[in-house]
Amino acid sequence: MPLGSVVFAFVVGALICLVTGANPIDAYSGLLCGGFGIACAQGENPALQVSNTVVFLIPLITTGVAVALPFRAGLFNIGAEGQLLAGAIACTAIGVQFKDLPAVILLPMVLLGGMAAGAVWAGIAGVLKATVGAHEVVTTIMLNYIAQWLLRYLIIGGPLQLGAGTSTSKPIGQGARLATLLPADNSLIIFGLPASVFRVHTGLLIALVAVAAFAFLLWRTSFGYEIRTVGQSQKAARYAGVSVSRTIIITMLIAGAFSGLAGAIQISGVDHNLTDKYFTDTTGFDAIAVALLGLGSAVGIVLAALLFGALHAGGAIMQSDAGISSNLVLVLQALILFSIAANFVGAIRKGLPFGRKSADLPPELPPAAGLMSEAAAPPPEPT
Amino acid sequence: MSALGDVGHLLLTANLWQAVLAAAVLLLLPALGGVISERSGVVNIAMEGMMLTGAFFAVVADLAWHNAWLATAVGIIAGGLIASIHAVVSIQFRADQIVSGIAINIFAAGLTVFLVNRIYGLQDIGHIGPTEGLPYIDIRGLDQIPFFGKVLFQQNVVVYAALILLVGIHVLLFRTRLGLRIRAVGEHPQAADTAGINVYLIRYSAVISSGLLSGLAGAFLAIGVSNTFVPNMTDGRGYIALAAMIFGKWTPFGAFIACLIFGLGQAIYDNNSTIHISPYLLSMLPYILTLVVLAGLVGRSTPPAHDGLPYVPGSE
Repeated sequence: MPLGSVVFAFVVGALICLVTGANPIDAYSGLLCGGFGIACAQGENPALQVSNTVVFLIPLITTGVAVALPFRAGLFNIGAEGQLLAGAIACTAIGVQFKDLPAVILLPMVLLGGMAAGAVWAGIAGVLKATVGAHEVVTTIMLNYIAQWLLRYLIIGGPLQLGAGTSTSKPIGQGARLATLLPADNSLIIFGLPASVFRVHTGLLIALVAVAAFAFLLWRTSFGYEIRTVGQSQKAARYAGVSVSRTIIITMLIAGAFSGLAGAIQISGVDHNLTDKYFTDTTGFDAIAVALLGLGSAVGIVLAALLFGALHAGGAIMQSDAGISSNLVLVLQALILFSIAANFVGAIRKGLPFGRKSADLPPELPPAAGLMSEAAAPPPEPT
Repeated sequence: MSALGDVGHLLLTANLWQAVLAAAVLLLLPALGGVISERSGVVNIAMEGMMLTGAFFAVVADLAWHNAWLATAVGIIAGGLIASIHAVVSIQFRADQIVSGIAINIFAAGLTVFLVNRIYGLQDIGHIGPTEGLPYIDIRGLDQIPFFGKVLFQQNVVVYAALILLVGIHVLLFRTRLGLRIRAVGEHPQAADTAGINVYLIRYSAVISSGLLSGLAGAFLAIGVSNTFVPNMTDGRGYIALAAMIFGKWTPFGAFIACLIFGLGQAIYDNNSTIHISPYLLSMLPYILTLVVLAGLVGRSTPPAHDGLPYVPGSE
């Protein structure tokens, strides 16, 4: 089903291109080149394209986990973006404040600080859900915007601003920076380019550890079992002696920590300071598509993150090579979401004469289905 | 203290309140759309995308035909069309309505800039200026009333329309048979169906209405307020409208009061030259206030019972 959704999106995307007079083959070969370094028309360096995709992939994995984990508890975290920003802000604040500390102390400080900030940000939504039943979708939307405006305040006229008239923060100290995977050495030539242009950084390893930790937590720990029980039925969970409110709050705290980590890694590994680029960052929303497309499993999340990382990296090449706006990528992403949510693929298969009969198919619910069944329920009783 | 004094002075000027009402209307229209949609049981977090779509197509039509009325009509219809995607996906296909709403917002953000590029050949930043704006109309006689004349009767034509719509939608929802049906479908669709109400028809109409209203707000934003289209120009207004709807407890007048409060923040933001608070901190206020309301500190805000649940005919 996930693959079908992607195919559906690309077919509709091609139709949109055709209707608006763009050549879909040019568009998609641009995406393929920018995403995976395949079929490059203008002699782009394939290794560099792959490196760019991986740089996009890293925060998508961790924020994807931040959406997928609460899904399992029946919670819809659409606040990954705000939590990411909180993490990026905390990472920057610590990295600037203690810029002279050695990496062995400062690096853990900025990463853990980012995780803590993200956890607090999501925890607000968790506490509101667990205590008064405020819907987490609405509270996380509000928290997204609060984080966004806080960021603007901090780097435009606020305490983190680099200097008057700028919309960037001071840079974090050397000790707060994640190393690149390849040595940052201009004399070293790898794949025909100086090694320093490859921005792939050690955050990749952290992200892979994070997604493994997610799978372990969910399937190999008693708390993971509690999360899944609460997601299946709050009533049953309560009957089994699981504290629903405690599970909700801790799940949100962990999810926020994953998003906060994504923000910290972006600052620590890529940007080294907060910029106005973060005003329009959409990683936390892409994460929703990553979690849904990856069916909430660890391997699925990595694969889906790879797809969206490639789309993002590919969009830039499509725009420069084929002259087609990189915003086509957003259109494709929305189409994938529509398709997963509505299960168009299942509907198409049912409608086709050679398709399997609907009775043969297991009920193909979207991964988010059933989330809303608890939405109108009264707040969980404190246990 | 001087900042507070400045705000106090600003609050006494008619200019400020004139701006407050205009800013509030920009939020009120999508908020009313949200009220109708959610009262019928379809969660709508897609006002942002519907507004953006309306704004874009209003500008395109304005540039093509140099007629603000025609352009507004096109913006309204565009909002309705994109809302019908949300309707089909969430009513017919029973998709998760939040995922569908997010998809609408992403779709609108991407498609509008993609089309700026296709239609005008501009890459990404499509600062396009329409030629004809929606007119500001002074109501002869009434506009001479001190203070209130300026605030209420020297406004854009859309402001008057929105105030009429506010009263109309309130009456529709709470004083007519149709309104009772809409609310019944949102509270208990099975019972409504049993009583012979066409649940799907009501929900489709409600969701598409929310798109029409958001499209009007988008047109007002693009060819009434800013006279341009820039990518993502709605800048979260659709989400503030969502907040206003919740703040106002899913009622038209409640939403209007919330919009006035949020509009006040916006107007103070716009008049920042006279005060010394960071505009960015002020911009957080609508969202923080909504969290406070949701936390139950100012009374509970409860959505319609079947808000967000797809209706499956014959289900218990």
